[in-house]
Amino acid sequence: MQVVKNIYKPVTADILEVIDETPTIKTFVVRPRQPIGFQAGEFMEVTVPGVGEAPFTPSSSPNVKETIDFTIMKVGRVTEAIHRMRKGDTVGVRGPLGKGYPLDAWKGKEICIVGGGVGGAPLRALFLALTERLDDFKKILYCYGARTPKDIVYKKQIMEEWPKIDPKKVEIRLTVDEGDETWKGNVGVVTTVVRDLGLDLASSVAVVCGPPIMMKFATFKLLELGYPESSIYLSMEKNMSCGVGKCGHCMLGEYMVCQDGPVLTYDLIKDKPGIWD
Amino acid sequence: METHYVSEADFIKLLSWLENRGDLYVASREDDQVSIKPFGEVGEFTYPGVRAYQPLKPLFFSLLEEVAEYPTEEEALREIKPFSILGAASCDIRAIEALDHVFLEGQFKDPFYEERRRKSLIIGFDCTEPLETCFCVIMGNNPYPEKNFDLNLSKIEGGYVVEVGSEKGKEVVEANKEIFKPATENHLSQRDAIRSSVKATVEKQSKEFKPSGAWREILAKAFDDSAWARNVETCVECAACLFICPTCQCFLLYDERAGDRYKRLRMWDACAYKNFAKVAGGANPRPHLVERFRHRYYHKLDYFPKNYGFEACTGCGRCIVACPGKIDMRKVLKEVCKS
Ligand SMILES: Cc1cc2nc3c(=O)[nH]c(=O)nc-3n(C[C@H](O)[C@H](O)[C@H](O)COP(=O)(O)OP(=O)(O)OC[C@H]3O[C@@H](n4cnc5c(N)ncnc54)[C@H](O)[C@@H]3O)c2cc1C
Ligand code: SF4
Ligand code: FES
Repeated sequence: MQVVKNIYKPVTADILEVIDETPTIKTFVVRPRQPIGFQAGEFMEVTVPGVGEAPFTPSSSPNVKETIDFTIMKVGRVTEAIHRMRKGDTVGVRGPLGKGYPLDAWKGKEICIVGGGVGGAPLRALFLALTERLDDFKKILYCYGARTPKDIVYKKQIMEEWPKIDPKKVEIRLTVDEGDETWKGNVGVVTTVVRDLGLDLASSVAVVCGPPIMMKFATFKLLELGYPESSIYLSMEKNMSCGVGKCGHCMLGEYMVCQDGPVLTYDLIKDKPGIWD
Repeated sequence: METHYVSEADFIKLLSWLENRGDLYVASREDDQVSIKPFGEVGEFTYPGVRAYQPLKPLFFSLLEEVAEYPTEEEALREIKPFSILGAASCDIRAIEALDHVFLEGQFKDPFYEERRRKSLIIGFDCTEPLETCFCVIMGNNPYPEKNFDLNLSKIEGGYVVEVGSEKGKEVVEANKEIFKPATENHLSQRDAIRSSVKATVEKQSKEFKPSGAWREILAKAFDDSAWARNVETCVECAACLFICPTCQCFLLYDERAGDRYKRLRMWDACAYKNFAKVAGGANPRPHLVERFRHRYYHKLDYFPKNYGFEACTGCGRCIVACPGKIDMRKVLKEVCKS
């Protein structure tokens, strides 16, 4: 469907709450002044007034209509400016943009989610979307790795709430690169918990999101375990400006990642130059 | 398509009609260079014979423009006055076709481009004096427009054969019925003879650069060719080839304070720049100049055809003229074809 409107103009959104997740990651709960729905995996351009925009994937459940959460790591100009914002400030939101996860096509399947760092943001939206209609799926395995225990996003949810959702169908595996005195779980990069999945690969899909290097090794690990290339869904993080398929910044081979993705299966992009960079 | 004949004397009447329609830009010949100018600055129309030195792109997609103001409630977009372009070469019409795909297709239409396209009237012409750098014929195009124009002029003895290519073009004919005369067999055979002779000229000078097959198939095997590195040596990263390109679409959005509000601006950008695709973590899919150089060729001749079915290089040769490093796209591709 063609949308006839100014595709470059953001909708004003009020920041209702700012949650410190880790020393460098905060979650911003915002309420857009015009309703903006989204599907898990679709992203939005968030504007800091006068500073500029950057792309972020909502981390809240798509079933929550009033508010949207963005979980944002401080890495540069726009993200530093966002991190200085407080409850009551306003941002701009433009979207939803791109194609998210094809949940309907996954009905009846087992889903293996592999994430790292701030990649946990889109994956939380996905996890919530899946578990809020758990009858549709056979099993959900959520593997997540962080640098240290302090760097785990949504710690309370992941460690206390999620494992209780339905222990027969939902399994959570956590790992950290470096433990500390409080950490009793696995130590090692996320691929070390991506094994003995207990899933039927033929009727399973895998989803990967995280820093480029993690995406690369997680993908190779999943291939090694026997996942077909077309069953591995990657959330590609490319430089973006317009988010609407015009500006050329996000190209990966012939794909405009902002429109054809950001979620793309590995078979489509495995040979594209610069896939992991 | 319907064709007519307009004599040179009658054509002057059409010019004043076009001036009344809105803004009128003409491709005008001065010495041996053709440029696009507001008709008011030139005052007359001389058949251009070949493409203008600047592309038509800025008339539809500005180098720099405001695309949004926020926070505001209203959605109103700037209205644009109707305008006509008299003198679009075949390659430039092809370029607009390429930009139409980019800006008007997919889930989102660019409202600024769309408004300009809606308000524009494009009058093409057959090339009669191709430049030495013209290579449209090896990019699947002819030196005379065959589609995607509103009207097209072919210069013949004493006047023009005018072909109608759209509803908008038809309206021009309707409104100026008295000057559009039937095109005779003789008119058409004159036109066709000129067309084949100009085509033969461009074919002759392009012969050595003619690809052995489809560009996509050639590039599919050429990614690691040493020709890319050899040819990028004199590139100074000025991006002139990209800014002068009639089909380059890349841009950057940036925001500024404007009184108690903010505005969003859109400025042309270029994939030749090092940080064009760099992401925050420092990862960069094309950190080396040669990769960015090659990306341009792949975008035009592989990625674009995969998405839209034809090359986004029109063969206009502007990048050859603009390059301070004397990089000639035809020669680069010839080397790539050879190996
Ligand atoms: C589809 C998508 C979803 C994302 N979701 C999240 C998320 O949920 N949480 C999160 O913390 N981060 C996310 N990112 C990454 C986030 O967009 C970048 O961290 C952010 O753009 C950095 O901007 P900056 O101005 O702070 O950094 P700078 O390094 O100062 O960036 C300068 C400019 O480069 C561009 N840029 C730099 N890095 C990136 C990048 N990685 N992606 C796109 N453009 C970039 C931007 O245009 C930016 O304005 C996502 C990226 C994409 C493409
Ligand atoms: S490239 Fe072809 S169409 Fe363009 S100006 Fe040259 S001869 Fe004319
Ligand atoms: S971000 Fe502009 S084309 Fe994808």
